[in-house]
Amino acid sequence: MATADSTVRGVPAWPRAGRFAGLLWLLPLVAVALAATRHPDLARALGSAWQWSPALLRGFLVNVGVSLLAIALGTAGGLLVGALRLSPLALLWRPAQLYVQVFRNAPWLVLIYFSTYVFPFEVNIGSHIVPFPDWLKVVLGLALPASANVAEVLRGSVQSIPLTQWEAASSMAFSRWQILRLIVGPQCVRRMLPPWMNLYATLTMSTALASLVGVHDLLDTAQIASNTVNQTAFTVLIYFIVLAMFFAWCYPISRFTRFLEQKHAVA
Amino acid sequence: MDAAIAWGIEAARRLGLNYAFLADAYDRASFVHGAWVTVQLVVCTLAGSLAAGVAMAALLTSRRPLLAGATRAFVEVTRNTPTLVQLYCAFLVLNMLITHALQDAQRSNPLTPFLWVVVVLSLHKGVFHAEALRAGIEAVPRVTLEAAASLGFDRRTLLWRVQLPLAVRFALPALVNNSVDLVKATAVASAIAVGDITYASIMIWTQRDNVLELMVLLLLFFGLLTWVVSQAGNWLELRLRMPGYGDR
Repeated sequence: MATADSTVRGVPAWPRAGRFAGLLWLLPLVAVALAATRHPDLARALGSAWQWSPALLRGFLVNVGVSLLAIALGTAGGLLVGALRLSPLALLWRPAQLYVQVFRNAPWLVLIYFSTYVFPFEVNIGSHIVPFPDWLKVVLGLALPASANVAEVLRGSVQSIPLTQWEAASSMAFSRWQILRLIVGPQCVRRMLPPWMNLYATLTMSTALASLVGVHDLLDTAQIASNTVNQTAFTVLIYFIVLAMFFAWCYPISRFTRFLEQKHAVA
Repeated sequence: MDAAIAWGIEAARRLGLNYAFLADAYDRASFVHGAWVTVQLVVCTLAGSLAAGVAMAALLTSRRPLLAGATRAFVEVTRNTPTLVQLYCAFLVLNMLITHALQDAQRSNPLTPFLWVVVVLSLHKGVFHAEALRAGIEAVPRVTLEAAASLGFDRRTLLWRVQLPLAVRFALPALVNNSVDLVKATAVASAIAVGDITYASIMIWTQRDNVLELMVLLLLFFGLLTWVVSQAGNWLELRLRMPGYGDR
């Protein structure tokens, strides 16, 4: 049973703890600023970090772009594979099942290496030679496990809809496709949203792996910066900035996901 | 043994797959050693993450708000940042600071990359274990605890004999799931040149240009490891099953 004191009309107040956390954010910033007035090393490192900030932002844009493309591709592919997996025909669901198992059990890093080394660096389309950049390969490498996970999320959500709804609908002469589209589908979308957003957050964090195959993302930029400036204080600072940037992107998503989950659980 | 390997390599060659590295004693040894290192990583990290998970679950449910709050902050940061960045923060930043400090004292740094991977992954997965355990602890019915308390259990015995055994059972499916993720996460060790199976494979395919062949072996190897872990989890779940709890 849900207790009523923290909820209004069954909906939990989302930013309750967030209000407080928002202020806590300022604490480390103030601490760093105060420390910088005393330590010239730190002040110098902050100056360098300011100089590198446009490069870092550009790097982070690569991460965000890769994650958005990969989730789009992964969702499209995952819905297709998931639909095949729900098919009653063994010829369709068996391969789909295999696909899901293989790509859910493979480490994401291995799949990124896979797509980076296996795909060619350029493709011939007709008479044109189109380059196949590394970041696009990483997108594909991340879309593979993402699609397998989306397929699993889809299956879970379809199976969470009571069977009686299928029976009731088919007794009213709805076809299988109509039931999926008009009755089960809309309910599934709502149930799929939280795990899908979790997947997106995981995917965003995995884009950091792109730095290992030579994509100039945030982490790669940070490494270059740290090697170029070559100061202890700056190295410490820059990696914590990277940590903070990923956190700033993923934490709101995870909070919103939790909010949706709670809302769903109460309703 | 050698004859069997030669036969296998020849059979694969007819299919267009280049497994010639298996005939080379050096490459084969480095690949097998890599597999062994990955197994060691998995075993150490499984143990470490469970220990970290129990410790953090205890801190999360602690009655001291400062302690619980600090742990909560750590949990949120760990959950919402990439493992690779955490590994770099530990290995490139913390390890560097430690090395510098020890250099000033004329001593060398005894911490190896292997150890750092185990520590970082243990803390990372420990956070997920802790969340699962916390949910498990909260799922233990109040009346059970009150009944135990009325039988004269003190707080510690209550925790170890009643609350935790039940919580572990509630949390077990999630713990197994996290452990399977952990197996896959160990591949990140290759980023700081721990000679695990992924790193060994990279070394071999940069020499021989047989990425696809090694990828098949890698996927099979990780498939096997995750299968073993999930089977062990299923066995435990069955073993610890209690009448009246869990519907399977």
